[in-house]
Amino acid sequence: MSAPVVVPERLPSAAAATAYQREWFGRLAQRVRGGEALALANADAPHEVLRALDVPYVVNQWWSSIISAKRAGPASLGAVAAAGLPDYSRQYDVLPLGAQDLPGQDAPWGGLPAPRFAIAERGGDVTHKIFERWGRRPGTETFLLSRTAADPAPEGWWDLVAHRWEEVFGASRIDLLHGEIDDLIAWLEARLGRRMDRARLTEVMALANEQAEWNRRTRDLLASARPLPVPVTDIIPSVMVPQWHRGTRWAVEAARHLHDDVAHRIDEGAAVAPGERRRLMWIGRGLWSDLDMYRSFQEEFDAVFVWSMYLAIAADGYARYGEDPVRALAARFVGLTDLLYVPPMSSSWYVKEAVAHGVDGVVHLVADDTPGGALISAALEERGIPVLEIRGSNADIGASASVRERIAAFLRDRVPANA
Amino acid sequence: MSRERVVGIVGNDVPRQLVVAAGAIPFRITGSWRGRIDPAASRLLGAVDAPVARILTDLTAGRVECDALIVCADSQAHVRLFYALRATAPHLPLHLLDLPRAESIPARRFAGVQLESLMAFLAEVTGRPADISSLTAAAQAERELGRAIGRLRDRRRAVPPRCTGAAALEAMIAASQLPSHAAVARVDRAGSDVAGTVLRVHVTGSGHPDADLYRVLDQQGCVVVSEDHDTGDAAWLGAAADGADVDAVLRGLLDQHFARVGGSPTASSAERARFTRDVVVRSGAELVVGVVRDLDEAPAWDLADQAALLAEIEVPLRVRTRVLPGEEIEAVRDVVGATPEGAVSA
Repeated sequence: MSAPVVVPERLPSAAAATAYQREWFGRLAQRVRGGEALALANADAPHEVLRALDVPYVVNQWWSSIISAKRAGPASLGAVAAAGLPDYSRQYDVLPLGAQDLPGQDAPWGGLPAPRFAIAERGGDVTHKIFERWGRRPGTETFLLSRTAADPAPEGWWDLVAHRWEEVFGASRIDLLHGEIDDLIAWLEARLGRRMDRARLTEVMALANEQAEWNRRTRDLLASARPLPVPVTDIIPSVMVPQWHRGTRWAVEAARHLHDDVAHRIDEGAAVAPGERRRLMWIGRGLWSDLDMYRSFQEEFDAVFVWSMYLAIAADGYARYGEDPVRALAARFVGLTDLLYVPPMSSSWYVKEAVAHGVDGVVHLVADDTPGGALISAALEERGIPVLEIRGSNADIGASASVRERIAAFLRDRVPANA
Repeated sequence: MSRERVVGIVGNDVPRQLVVAAGAIPFRITGSWRGRIDPAASRLLGAVDAPVARILTDLTAGRVECDALIVCADSQAHVRLFYALRATAPHLPLHLLDLPRAESIPARRFAGVQLESLMAFLAEVTGRPADISSLTAAAQAERELGRAIGRLRDRRRAVPPRCTGAAALEAMIAASQLPSHAAVARVDRAGSDVAGTVLRVHVTGSGHPDADLYRVLDQQGCVVVSEDHDTGDAAWLGAAADGADVDAVLRGLLDQHFARVGGSPTASSAERARFTRDVVVRSGAELVVGVVRDLDEAPAWDLADQAALLAEIEVPLRVRTRVLPGEEIEAVRDVVGATPEGAVSA
């Protein structure tokens, strides 16, 4: 029989990050009410430019997660449908657009102030159309950046990408995004009536790199720790809230705080599941609507989710060093999504991470809008790591009950317990 | 004498002039409305538009004979197809053409590199690098095709039309798979008598990989006089550029690329809606119909804008969205059948 599961109290860095975002949002809204221009930026847009120009910004996907968490998703999608738009398409990306039409009392945290700028990359077939809609709202203008398709990166890109990014992504792709970021800077400067200080951008890039280095150390600690000292549900907010504040001293300190919390938990011998016998990897976006799911296999199976992409990509995917901060910034975003989704870059990385974390089985959430799922699963299976593929959206709350049943069956049938 | 190489093309961004000038036959691969999808192809691609899954099914089964394949990054489904083939078909000479849609100085520079890279790929496939002489000859041949397409367009838009929509679409798809001179002959052969009383229809929504749904529309008492999808009127057929040297030709082709309205996955909804309206005005269509396949999300985002602009010219729009494989015929019958008689403008 398994030992009782010890659930340590919430990681202080997770609690601090979660509390911070509400307080920060209040300050941001106040700045915008005071007349400052707000930007809405998609997750893979070069936020650092906004940071360097001191433009307050909100990340589309982060705001979407708040809308979901505050149960304003259905009403927001209703507003999308009322505008004659397909409310079934790219729900996670479109929630903020719909939420703008909610009455103030129904909008999370009083609602997002009207953005002056909406900035996105042309990822997928629809993102640009969502941001086109933003650009039609009164007072909002849209800027779109290109998204190029991926050439295969050299093997072991994670060891190269921080410094040798020209080799990893190729000069031609970086040239395009570099040029477009220059155009974005000029576009913003013309509207703001002020110039971006390149030295400030260099400083922002350095802070973002420092944050990535802390994340790398934290990931390495967790990879080698046995048993798992911190639940993945604490790691995700501890990484992702600071990720959206990348380029600030607060975010660096938050990343360091997470590292120190994890190190402390390891030192004191903490265990999420003292009888840990199965270590699991969750590939894909988080099931925000059902975070308890990640901890629901501990008692019956002594199984713990030890890995999610959020810390791992923050550790391996973001650092970019280089003399020209705009070019380094272009290199940060030109292929970030490729690293997560496009084989062979993605598949080799997931295998590397699975091996490093001693993973016994993988639950792979394959979303409609991500390529390469089957090839990623196949690469893991070839390494002898069993994979359960679940096809669907992380925003689909109806999936959770059946997801739990399928994971349980997977654990029973394919993931033997370690001695 | 060795046979000409056949270069398969998926998507609508490849200037045929470059393929022809390299001594190859361009062969557009569109997939189909119906037909089996191999579960392995479906699994490799994930959630993609069904015709693209059928393309992979056919390629994997060896039902498409081509010596090399170019895939355009003009939709995410095509990009996925490229990634899947790159991982699973190592012996197929494969190239991705990734042309940005919105013009800017950096986009034009990147697109230029893309066309140069395409030329290098074609030269490797055929062993015959294009030069200014072969590019000039190819331009002449392609322009002849462009003129034939123009004549076909005139026949479709005549009152009464002198070609059914199905015959026109079949001819245009066939032309995209033939050498230029044969393509001209094929397009010029397309013509048929159409009763003057039939309803003139414009087709929007998802692209039509074949003419199956057009035939249903013909049977329903309609004639498709125009469309805005990329195997019909919006196919990049007959485009050609001249110049004193290769660079000048490439610049001319890029001018044309950036000037045309892209497919729904790459163009803005506003551009798509204006394009639909303008074509409808020119073709004199009385009704706009569309079938939007499940997992082909982009066209659904354009519908609100299309409806608004078509309302201004009093042309009704009838569309079915999220149409699953197997439901296409019923869907197109529905959109035509659902048209209230009084809603059709005279």
